[in-house]
Amino acid sequence: MVIEVRLYATLRRYRPSIPNGVFTADIPDGISVAELVEKLEIDPAEIHMIMVNGIGREMDGILADGDRIGLFPAVGGG
Amino acid sequence: MALLAEGKMPERYQRNFGTVGIAGQIRLLKSKVAVVGAGGLGGTVIELLARLGVGQLRIIDGDTFAVHNLNRQLMSTEHNIGVNKAYAAASRVEVINCDVQTEAIPYMLDEENAEELLKGVDVVVDALDNVSTRLLVNRVTKQYGIPLIYAAIAGFTGQVMTIMPGDNGLERIYRQTNANASNQGVETMLGNPAGTPALAASLQVQEVVKVITGIGEPLRNKLLYFDTEMNIFEILTVT
Repeated sequence: MVIEVRLYATLRRYRPSIPNGVFTADIPDGISVAELVEKLEIDPAEIHMIMVNGIGREMDGILADGDRIGLFPAVGGG
Repeated sequence: MALLAEGKMPERYQRNFGTVGIAGQIRLLKSKVAVVGAGGLGGTVIELLARLGVGQLRIIDGDTFAVHNLNRQLMSTEHNIGVNKAYAAASRVEVINCDVQTEAIPYMLDEENAEELLKGVDVVVDALDNVSTRLLVNRVTKQYGIPLIYAAIAGFTGQVMTIMPGDNGLERIYRQTNANASNQGVETMLGNPAGTPALAASLQVQEVVKVITGIGEPLRNKLLYFDTEMNIFEILTVT
């Protein structure tokens, strides 16, 4: 199945060839966000917020074809 | 207030009139807002709330201005380095709007004083720079049923949300946070350039106005996330 991945802020450095951090990925059916993160070789400790189709999800959330997954680092400054 | 009671807008608030009206201006002047933190976010929040005519501001910050604050913190100047931020902000408000009563609290909000400092206000603005104190504020505002206007920033990135009584709040945004996690985010890497806190703080002020006046639709259960490096503005659902 094909999904769209959106990397935000510092997570974009995991795909330096894609300046805006938005790309599609062909992944096995029924995998979780955690499994996707592992496939993308992103350190899960850097991921603080997960959005699937604009709605907050957890690492164990199962993905579906056509999903749009946003991965966000922690933001805490003031 | 006398003019407003007669249905007339004082000259200094004329440019508020078309947006908030007489009733809205009266509500703003009668409101008490606590701003927790008077740095990058808080400095701009305090400046704008004072100009809008929010009647009472409780400004809480135990920190003093340092030279590295000058790039973004509106209340800092080359002349007040070493001065407590809450006191400096209150002094600034005094020369902006004499309608506004300020209460400068020159120490940090913590477990011991949080309830005393926050209960009884109409709105709390989170202008903090660390996760643990944010979660403490979130807990107290929830306990006392006080709307909380949250923001956090890093680099070109910021996020803003309004948490009304009964809503799930920051525990959803910071749900990955645990005792071993960092108390800060990627701002330690990206820093905080001038425009980011000003932008996030301006959005917080719009939220304060909406909550106090009842105008419009607050960012309730919605996180406004911006990343101006890539011209991204998104509304994300956080429940």
